[in-house]
Amino acid sequence: MQTKQTWRVIDTGLRRAAENMALNKTLLEGHQQGITPHTLRFLQFKPSALLGFHQSAEQELRIDYCAEQGIDIQRRITGGGAIYFDETQIGWELYLDKQTLGTADMSKIARRICEAAARGISTLGVDARYRPRNDIEVDGRKISGTGGAFDGDSILYQGTLLVDFDVERMLRVLRIPAEKLSDKAIASARERVANLKDLLGAVPDMVRVKQSISQAFAEEFGVVFEAGELNEQEQALYGESLAEIDTPEWVYQHNRPANETAVLENIVKSEGGLMRVAVSVDQARQRIKQIWITGDFFVNPRRMVADLEAALKDTPIAEMAENVHRFFDHYPVEMLLLRREDFITAITGALDGEREAAGTA
Amino acid sequence: MDCNQCEFRPELYYDDEFQIWVSREDNGDYLVGMTDISQTIAGRILHVRVRRPGTRRPMGKPVATLESGKWAGPVPNLMDCIIVEGNQAVLEQPGLLNRDPYGAWIARVRPMDANQDVLAPFVTGEQARKGYCARAQAEDIHCKRLKD
Repeated sequence: MQTKQTWRVIDTGLRRAAENMALNKTLLEGHQQGITPHTLRFLQFKPSALLGFHQSAEQELRIDYCAEQGIDIQRRITGGGAIYFDETQIGWELYLDKQTLGTADMSKIARRICEAAARGISTLGVDARYRPRNDIEVDGRKISGTGGAFDGDSILYQGTLLVDFDVERMLRVLRIPAEKLSDKAIASARERVANLKDLLGAVPDMVRVKQSISQAFAEEFGVVFEAGELNEQEQALYGESLAEIDTPEWVYQHNRPANETAVLENIVKSEGGLMRVAVSVDQARQRIKQIWITGDFFVNPRRMVADLEAALKDTPIAEMAENVHRFFDHYPVEMLLLRREDFITAITGALDGEREAAGTA
Repeated sequence: MDCNQCEFRPELYYDDEFQIWVSREDNGDYLVGMTDISQTIAGRILHVRVRRPGTRRPMGKPVATLESGKWAGPVPNLMDCIIVEGNQAVLEQPGLLNRDPYGAWIARVRPMDANQDVLAPFVTGEQARKGYCARAQAEDIHCKRLKD
């Protein structure tokens, strides 16, 4: 019988964002230097707003609200968008290398890890699935967001897991359209995210949640996990990392003025109903960063709207219509008097509004 | 030799894993970019950041960082150098790296010690081609260019 490899699992408990980010840097660099073994880490955060590695605090967050509420602002070393993280979520992360994963293809690596995490979450009694590129969802509602970082052949891949979650607080921390802060919009945002407490009827035992996830990774990679601590070299590296990361220079390094990203809105009435669209646009790169669609139209399955929003992330403006068509070409959906062109019209209207605004600026 | 459709330029200099290329400019500066293999592995690149002009970057400290999908990471650096500038076109349209990896340089750098043989750690020419193709084959990387 072949002996299974042993990987380390560490639980670093509830910490400030700066400490958690410094541990990310420590363990990824340590892994690259050969002092950190393959590791699964569980972590929790005091209330924090976490920027993606290349994001700007002023563009993504309501900094004043965070200050008033005592919410730490930090920058991740992983890519992706800004998130709100607090005690009601569990973070999980893996430190591995490309050899162990048997591929250098970043999207394959993300898929393999997310599918395993989804299986682990599912053993708690929910039907969790991976949704490309980076989400894990239950019945179309996001329950875990993920992202990664690499350094040479070493990779860090991390995710959140919503155990209980304050959607309204998240919406207030992130700079998203004001329209989204209405009661109806908060209710609609609540429909797009899921948490274990709501799904299971009670907050599950955290130990069991972590066990389910580590069990799933152990099975996926054919290894056993053994609880461990940071070694001495990692402790030393951690001191250096914290000194670099627990500073405004790290957090605010990519600041760009908030107006470089515009949020454009449009309302269109068609036979299918009323549709509201909000589009956040990266002006310099002429891309749709993110899109929010709400309305009283009928579609089945309802998650189609969330899937369309996901499909249009980071789309060049010039290719928006083509991407909408590509999406509907492959997506089985029933719509009542609503046509795919209605989505294109509504989004185009929002984007054209921007061009006028830009012309007068 | 079949390189799995990964384009190779014999006149450039490469790190031994073929993640980056560098080329010498007439004034002694160097251009740094990413290879067809690297852009393929990364997938659609959404962000590029280059350290501020004038910043010193010792060997091992990245001159730039990239983000694709939700992956972020450094562009490796094998030279003790100062950043002269980032390529403005690439900073504004990171997708250029996916379309034209050898035309779209990322950063222009100046070696700290002009007399030192800064190209010593790099490989080039036919020897580099063999290593480049061997990596594409060993890791089953099939290069493709995104249209943006």
